Amino acid sequence: MNSGWTRRIAVVGLMVVAITLMIWAGVHNARERRRQQQEQDAARVVLIPEKGGAAAAEEGADPAPKLQGKPAPAFTLVDLEGKKVSLADFKGKPVLVNLWATWCGPCKLEMPWFEEFSQKYAGQGLIILGVAADDAGKTVIASTAKKLGVTYPILLKDDKVEDAYGGADYIPESFYVDRSGKVMLATAGISDGGQGGKDEIEANIKRLIATSAD
Amino acid sequence: MHAALSFGLLLAGAAQSGMQLGELDVPRAKAKQFVVYASEAQTVPAGKPATLMLRFRVEDGYHINSHQPTSELEIPTTVELVPDAGVRLEKTQYPTGKIYVPAFDPSEKLDVYAGEFIVRLPVVAAAGSHSLHGSFKYQACDRAACYPVKTLPLDVLFVAR
Repeated sequence: MNSGWTRRIAVVGLMVVAITLMIWAGVHNARERRRQQQEQDAARVVLIPEKGGAAAAEEGADPAPKLQGKPAPAFTLVDLEGKKVSLADFKGKPVLVNLWATWCGPCKLEMPWFEEFSQKYAGQGLIILGVAADDAGKTVIASTAKKLGVTYPILLKDDKVEDAYGGADYIPESFYVDRSGKVMLATAGISDGGQGGKDEIEANIKRLIATSAD
Repeated sequence: MHAALSFGLLLAGAAQSGMQLGELDVPRAKAKQFVVYASEAQTVPAGKPATLMLRFRVEDGYHINSHQPTSELEIPTTVELVPDAGVRLEKTQYPTGKIYVPAFDPSEKLDVYAGEFIVRLPVVAAAGSHSLHGSFKYQACDRAACYPVKTLPLDVLFVAR
């Protein structure tokens, strides 16, 4: 009897110890998983765009579309020869302000078209200004423009002009400034890039030229 | 008791302007920013050469230049990390890009990352928890336009045992 009871007590004791160990291990593992999850969550970097972001995500937060129908923001920038060029220099003329960059493929596709149109419509007063929204440096910007055959003025951006024209967060961007100094039309991106895109730009230029200075 | 390697990526959907885009055939995601991240527990053997996997995902409709773009004017994707004490970083291994022919110019061939891609980070780490801080630099485009280059913070945690 005695040895039977002893054995039973020993078995129950072992079971209690085993269950206690299992509970402890479960709790420990759960804590460990929680700690790891917290560690992972802490490490999960949310990479936030330098511009745009939550504010820009709000409908209408991008100021660029708001420019349509409004006076074009004034600017004075430096061209590749170091000469100051102001938008105000072209008062009364139709002006196309194009934001581009050396690393932007669709921008570089459009620029030879702009060159063609700047010559084709020069007699009607068309001015095209290319603003390089680019940190590549003057030498690279100049050589890129030259390779593309661009002879219209290329201006070097500053933060002020980028902000005034919507942040240059999605390029190419074109602002068609009519003879009265208002933004008749603002466009971003390129459509199909083929003749359609070029035709669309030319149609916009013709509309721009047709505006009056009043 | 697992090591953790976590990282996240927000590719700048950035502010897609609403300018006359109704006429343009471009992705017009309502969400003007988009988050893509991958997170996985990872353990490496202590004191031996091992490779950490950094998993990234580019949102559908966008692509970023690979580490070796086709033109010197294009800005390559790069990961730069500062070693933690006890971690020796070897040369980062970037995946091969995919050839992408943009709709706006079928004559052009770009070398890009799209969808998921993995950057491999060879390390030799002493036993313990490690935290690597650094940056992820990329320049994204969609089928119609491009976004400015972004240099963004990146943290990688892992345990060597």
